[in-house]
Formats: sequence, C-alpha cells, structure tokens
Amino acid sequence: MSLDYAALLYDPVYAEIGVSATFIMGEIEASITVIDDTRPKSLPAGSFADVRGMGPGAFARIPELVAAGIARNDWQDASLTFNGRDWIVRSYELRGSPNGEDAGEVRFLLKATDV
Amino acid sequence: MSDIREAILARLVEVVASVPNLRTVHRNNVDWTDDQLPLGLVLDGDEDVATGNDGSRPSNRPLLVVMTPEIQIGEQSNAIGSDLTAFRAELMKLVLNDATLNALTGSNGKISYLGCETLFNWFDKQYGTLQMRFSFKYPLKPDDL
Repeated sequence: MSLDYAALLYDPVYAEIGVSATFIMGEIEASITVIDDTRPKSLPAGSFADVRGMGPGAFARIPELVAAGIARNDWQDASLTFNGRDWIVRSYELRGSPNGEDAGEVRFLLKATDV
Repeated sequence: MSDIREAILARLVEVVASVPNLRTVHRNNVDWTDDQLPLGLVLDGDEDVATGNDGSRPSNRPLLVVMTPEIQIGEQSNAIGSDLTAFRAELMKLVLNDATLNALTGSNGKISYLGCETLFNWFDKQYGTLQMRFSFKYPLKPDDL
C-alpha cells in the first residue's frame, strides 16, 4: 500500500505555512492556499558582474487547483494575490509527487503586474 | 606624469554616466542590486602591446598598446530588448565621438567598436544586460608614467 503524501506531507505543511491566495483567470476566481516562495536571486550581468534581486514564486497543490476548477491551461498569465501583493503567473514548474504528478505541487513563477 | 590608460578609463566612466536614463554608474563594482537598475558598469580592460616591442631599441621606448575595456548596461523593464538597443545606440555615439577620448588616443591611435552581447532572465520583471566591447589604441610612454 503506497503512502498518501497529500495527507501525510502536503496538507499538514500547507496548514502550517500556507497563506490564502486569490487566483483569477478569465471567469475563474478561486480562493486557494499557497506557500510563498519568493526567493533571493542572483543573475549574471555580462562576464564578471552579478545583480541581486528577488524572484517571486509560490507553491500550490494541484489537487486543490483541480477542485477549484483550475485546469493546467488556466495557469499561464493568471493573476495571483497573496501576502498583500499582486502577481502574474509568467511560467511554472511541476514538482511531481511519489503519488504522481497530478497529486503533487506546482511552483508558479511570478512577475510584477505592471510588466 | 601621465597614464593614458587611467585617463581613458576615468573618462569612459564619465561618458557612460552621461547616457540618458541610467540610474547608477560603477567602475569595476561587480556586485549590483536590482534597485540600482538601469545601471552602467565600466570594467578595466586588458592591455596588449600592438607595436614597438621588437628590435634593439631601449627598453623604456614608447609603445603602441591596445586596451579592451567592457561596458555593461543592466536594466529590467517590460521592453527590455528595445531599451537595451537604445542604450547601445547612445553609448556607441557617445564613446566614438567623444573629443576627450579621441584626443587621448593620439594621432597614431584609434577607438574601435568590437561588438556586443546580450543576456536575459527574470526578477519580478524581465531583466537583461548589454555588454559592449571597445578597443582603444594609444601610445604608452614608460617615462611619462
């Protein structure tokens, strides 16, 4: 019998450090829980220099998205609001799960709304 | 006492600082933060002897040397490609036409544009850098240093 990673891992973690978020894409407006994954980021600037800034991101559980009526083709360019900031989903990466990709997480890669 | 290399690099920083819309200009500071963007950076370049290093003339004879400093422009915006292209045009005109730089290279020297490279990524906005390369050929007189 395989372990249920959603019940044993993801759900308790999201209950502890997740924050409420509003996901909007077209006709869809849903309240979901995300984990703020805004990270420091350092990028090369030419051959020798580096520039440091922030790379905004957020984790979400795919089963929760599906339950809220959010399909994969709704992710790109969706509006995501959490922790007092508004973002646009510019890309994403699937994180997988021992129970399969559809039972895992997605990491939304975000950009500022004025871009 | 006159070090043309240093005079060129110092003037290059002034020229980059005159490019419209740059917020920050550094020389050899390779550690930036995104709130400094749009930013210009002058990196001191390698110096190689072009002519004068042969024959039996005295070791302190004048040489003709070539320095290749790099100028980098960093910016984040929703039109990063167009913005960097505009910076490239301004910078090229300012460097190649600058009277002080041209005077420093002397009658046997010259300023040449060697090319540019770009690089793109993301912070919370699209980020890009433009790296422009120039060469400066000028006389090096060891006794004048």
